[in-house]
Amino acid sequence: MSDEARRGPAGAAQAMLRASSEDRKPVGAGSPAAVAHKIQLKSADMKEEMRQDAFEIARIAFDKHSMEKDIAEYIKKEFDKNHGPTWHCIVGRNFGSYVTHETNYFVYFYIDSKAVLLFKSG
Amino acid sequence: MLEGKAVVEDTDMPAKMQAQAMSAASRALDRFDVLDCRSIASHIKKEFDAIHGPGWQCVVGSGFGCYITHSKGSFIYFRLESLRFLVFKGAAA
Repeated sequence: MSDEARRGPAGAAQAMLRASSEDRKPVGAGSPAAVAHKIQLKSADMKEEMRQDAFEIARIAFDKHSMEKDIAEYIKKEFDKNHGPTWHCIVGRNFGSYVTHETNYFVYFYIDSKAVLLFKSG
Repeated sequence: MLEGKAVVEDTDMPAKMQAQAMSAASRALDRFDVLDCRSIASHIKKEFDAIHGPGWQCVVGSGFGCYITHSKGSFIYFRLESLRFLVFKGAAA
């Protein structure tokens, strides 16, 4: 009687431990690999090197931020810093624009399902 | 003729210029389909270039965020019907 009583809790405890360890493994194994953002160039008046810089900075911006205005802010500020002022950036799913830009400083592309317009003016 | 009224979300423009932006938007919406954001933006930008000199920019749409640098007293962001309008003059070179 007393032996059986002791085994009960012990057995249950062991079962719980096993279940717990079994539960942990899938969670650990399930961590997702980083997803690369797909970029599709739509229109550009920009040298290849600067264009690639725009794509890379946009990827970083999309990883760091989720709100469109924060993404636009990050991209514009990076370009003001690296390529001289003054840049403007618009990010979104649905917009049309009509802008005046300096020659060689305009790019319009999609990153995943969102459009990015980046241009220099002034 | 659209009966909707424009609602200013943010601006640093004088009142007269604000009214011009919103009436330009109304005229553009009379002329172009609501889905033709680019033509609407073009109409507004060109009107502002004509009235207030070159260097204006215009963005129109129902889903966008942006970060810009504009000249003082030359920025407005407003709502009209289902669209949002951003009109600004880029900083002088």
